[in-house]
Amino acid sequence: MPRKQAALKRRTTLTLPSDSLLQAQKIAHSRQVNLSTVISEVVAAGLRLESARHRRNQILENYRTAFTGFSGDELAILDGVILEPVGAGRR
Amino acid sequence: MVDPAAGPFLFDTSAEGWLARNASADVVRWLYAYLGLHQFSVSAVTVTERIRGYGMLWRRSDPGARGRIEVARIAYLSQLGNVLPVDSAVAVVAGEIIALIPEAPTPPRRSHRLAESRQERLARWRFDGLIAATALVAGIPLVHNNASDFEAIRSAIERSPERFPGLGPLELIRCSLLA
Repeated sequence: MPRKQAALKRRTTLTLPSDSLLQAQKIAHSRQVNLSTVISEVVAAGLRLESARHRRNQILENYRTAFTGFSGDELAILDGVILEPVGAGRR
Repeated sequence: MVDPAAGPFLFDTSAEGWLARNASADVVRWLYAYLGLHQFSVSAVTVTERIRGYGMLWRRSDPGARGRIEVARIAYLSQLGNVLPVDSAVAVVAGEIIALIPEAPTPPRRSHRLAESRQERLARWRFDGLIAATALVAGIPLVHNNASDFEAIRSAIERSPERFPGLGPLELIRCSLLA
């Protein structure tokens, strides 16, 4: 079975709010892991949320573009109701 | 209000259109919350109806207006989430539905100077049968904006459970009740 490749890591310096740092230290202590692990998990979760938020906004924006600027009859056609001028089609 | 967490749902063509163009803050909030929990699911039939609609508008439009329609079509295709296929199970169930109710339960639509032909109404009714079958086979509620047609399908399935073994009931949610 192929082994999962460990994510590449880089050292950096961050300035964090004291209360957040304190909370993260408490979590690390209670779970007996180091502070970097807790901060990494929190950052990954935050990035997933941000990505989901971006995706949702993009969907809503695309929906607006897809249905904007059409008349009522044109919107009916987009909904699958094909309207023709009365007497124009085979009845 | 329907809890977005109660999903996933399948959205009928007109329900998708209703949600996408509804500017009510409550509806937009509901859709935003729903998209945070589930992919937006539609039937492949909805994609067919929608793309056919863009195609017809494009052909009917002046060349100068066609760019706008193409932008709208591409925006629609860019946001497609989970498209449920018409597979053999869906085809069989849709065939049973259409056999039970061969004619559309409501008349063709009309507007001021335009009307839907009988052939188009029948085609749309059969598309609705395929969409209802998709929800039934997937075992998820169908959100719709067309109570008369889908309630007729739901009732027919309830009256003839032997034609739908192991399936049903068809759960329906009217889109105006979502938010």
